[in-house]
Amino acid sequence: MIARGVRSQPDACAVPYPSDPEIMNRLASGELGALGELYDRYHEPLRRFIARATSDAEDVDDLVHAAFLAAAKSASQYDGRASCRPWLIGIAVQLLRRRRQGFGRLLAVLSALSGSRSASVDPRPRLEARGEVERALGRISEPKRVTFLMAKVEGLSCEEIALALGVPIGTVWTRLHAARRELRQALEEGAEP
Amino acid sequence: MTPAPCPRLFEVEAASDGRLTGLALGNFQRHMTACPACRREAQALAALDEALRAIPTRQLDELQTRREKTRLLAAFDRELVKPRPRWSAPWRLWPAPLAALVAGLFLFWRLRAPQPLPVHAASVVVRAGSAALWSEQSEGPLDQIRLERESLWLHVDHSSQKAGRVVVLLPDGELEDKGTTFTVSAEGGRTTRVAVQDGSVVLRLRGQLPVALGPGETWSPDPPPVASAGASAALAPLPSVTLSPLTHIASRPSSAEPVTSALAPDPALDFRAALATLDAGDNAGAAAAFENFLLKHPRDPRAEDAAYLRIIAFRRSGAEGSMKQAAQEYLRRFPAGFRRAEVQALAP
Repeated sequence: MIARGVRSQPDACAVPYPSDPEIMNRLASGELGALGELYDRYHEPLRRFIARATSDAEDVDDLVHAAFLAAAKSASQYDGRASCRPWLIGIAVQLLRRRRQGFGRLLAVLSALSGSRSASVDPRPRLEARGEVERALGRISEPKRVTFLMAKVEGLSCEEIALALGVPIGTVWTRLHAARRELRQALEEGAEP
Repeated sequence: MTPAPCPRLFEVEAASDGRLTGLALGNFQRHMTACPACRREAQALAALDEALRAIPTRQLDELQTRREKTRLLAAFDRELVKPRPRWSAPWRLWPAPLAALVAGLFLFWRLRAPQPLPVHAASVVVRAGSAALWSEQSEGPLDQIRLERESLWLHVDHSSQKAGRVVVLLPDGELEDKGTTFTVSAEGGRTTRVAVQDGSVVLRLRGQLPVALGPGETWSPDPPPVASAGASAALAPLPSVTLSPLTHIASRPSSAEPVTSALAPDPALDFRAALATLDAGDNAGAAAAFENFLLKHPRDPRAEDAAYLRIIAFRRSGAEGSMKQAAQEYLRRFPAGFRRAEVQALAP
């Protein structure tokens, strides 16, 4: 049997890859699928950042969840920059700040009430497996830690960090310098017998 | 011997953090190629950054990722479909104080707004003739205007709650406003003319029964020999007074017949006049007025009221005997009267 025609496969390259501003526009109009796309695109780096900033705390997933929900609610205020990542990290930093002020307890209660949270993991093995750098990172204050992670791990510019944190750029430089000094000091102390 | 540290070592961190830009950055990068200390510092900072990036974090497997995504989308979906929060209780309450504020401002504005006419009392407008001799005195809700000579035109706004009672004290009696607009004249120690443009008044002259005057009616003590000339002379000084046409001027009959029969054949006016007299506290006069009403209008629907109010007027005046007699007359005349029970208690 001879096939008279060839059915062409859809060209993967022809599938439009929406830009972040396009996704945010759709999200602002209440499109549920847009949030799914945003999650697929950024949940890993966002989760990694929050995990490092919180020493992989129990409520990392809740914070990721809350960050995406907050992003969806404020999608109409998105400033149109090409990548959402700095913006999402900025939202996460705000949540971390609230968490430090007691928001974490609220999240924990809400999560417990919802009953749909993923199973918790025993943190002890993870704590034991922590390396020196992680321990040193956990010893510096959260504002410095977050600033340092944003700059050195997430690769954000100091201007982006200043914008996300709502602080002057000089404060970002100061925090970076202090965080680096404290980290190195902690590592040197840890290395001593 | 330890070599001295490079004085530009601090610039390594500055370059790493983006504090060096442009020519300064290029200059330092050239320096670094030749400075082992700065190179070592840069490598140490890079190693620290790399160590940070290498910090292990707990990763979600694919199933956990899907669960988290589903949880997120479900939460967002709940946000989308849940009804928008209506006004919370505090916001539902704000219209009440706002409405009160608006009402207060409106009242304040109304009270502060200039009146269009010269107001002598809260809501009484008086326009006096050029030779009028008069004065005004307000005591609470009672506004007394004393007229000695010539004419006054008065307008009383009864739509205002501040109007109260307005009484014009005349040389030989008084005139109580029951309506809105009227003109009153006095000369030589006696009232010479009352003309009502709108509403009604009750004229109470000493030694005479009260007279109720309605819209367009005029009272004068003597038949005007030349009505138009007299009226014009009295009204000339009042530039803005609008009087009823001269054809409305009625002359009082010269016979001994009560004034009301000539001026107010309407029983309603007679009843109002009697009631006004009672309200004014002239109990004896009111009793006489109600008796006169019963004589003139025996079949009027208000006859029973007049008979009852006559009893009340006697009671207020302290005329016990007259009151009992009036009560017996009431019971005899209205055996199934509406106020029979009350009157029986007053009758002997």
